[in-house]
Amino acid sequence: MNEKNGADQSNGWFLLWLTGATMMAALVAVFFYVPTERTEGIVQRIMYIHIPSAWIAFFAFFIVFICSILYLWKNEREWDIYAHASAEIGVVFCSLVLITGPLWAKPIWGAWWVWDARLTSTLVLWLIYVAYLMLRAQTEPGSMRARFSAVIGIVGFLDIPLIHFSVLWWATFHPKPKIITSEGLGKGMDPSMLITLLISLAAFTLVYFLLMGQRVRLEKMRDEIDSLKKEKLYSN
Amino acid sequence: MKNFGFLFAANAFVWGGIFFYVFSLMKRNQSLQKDLAALKEAIAQEDKE
Repeated sequence: MNEKNGADQSNGWFLLWLTGATMMAALVAVFFYVPTERTEGIVQRIMYIHIPSAWIAFFAFFIVFICSILYLWKNEREWDIYAHASAEIGVVFCSLVLITGPLWAKPIWGAWWVWDARLTSTLVLWLIYVAYLMLRAQTEPGSMRARFSAVIGIVGFLDIPLIHFSVLWWATFHPKPKIITSEGLGKGMDPSMLITLLISLAAFTLVYFLLMGQRVRLEKMRDEIDSLKKEKLYSN
Repeated sequence: MKNFGFLFAANAFVWGGIFFYVFSLMKRNQSLQKDLAALKEAIAQEDKE
């Protein structure tokens, strides 16, 4: 048991250092390496935090979707813990997408917000998972709460393909995909921009795993407290 | 340096948001650890009695 804890701790430190180093590399690439875009100017650099935030939000909600299916299938608390932890992180990053988007849109489009398909469906996604967290906060812990949450977690994820394809299916203000295009991977942008974006994506992905580890640990500790409380109650 | 304010604000929100979330996790962790230690101590005390 102690050996396992020691290995977990050293893995945690390794992940922390790797995340820190990748974050530093991303900041250096964004502010010193990548050239300023010709038409949008310096504000285009928001892309290197806006797209990774969106990627993490979608990835986190994908994990919620998978863990929710596994919970309904296997009925194991472990999957409910992972789904809850990932939903919270997803909401944090989806909020950052909804903040950085308008900050990029205002100087380029001349408006903070437009009700086009991409923006509206992203707002709907955020509302769905905020509702997921509110449901969990307002109901008693137990299998009923986990089951209802799992259903919302699965249904909510169905909005993500809609968000992705919205810019292709409808006329929107939001630009079309630049990384995965019909011409190939990363053909829609300059190689230096692609490298910077990939470093930033890697940094944000590592941040997700770091946060996920901490959030899961928190939930397990809460479970331990609950079971000790029950144990104490029964012994009295 | 036109529109630098927007770039600054976006970065401030993202990095500030991440740090704020990490800080909230640390606070929750501290509070739960305190609860857990108190509970374990109470159980150990009861066992002694």
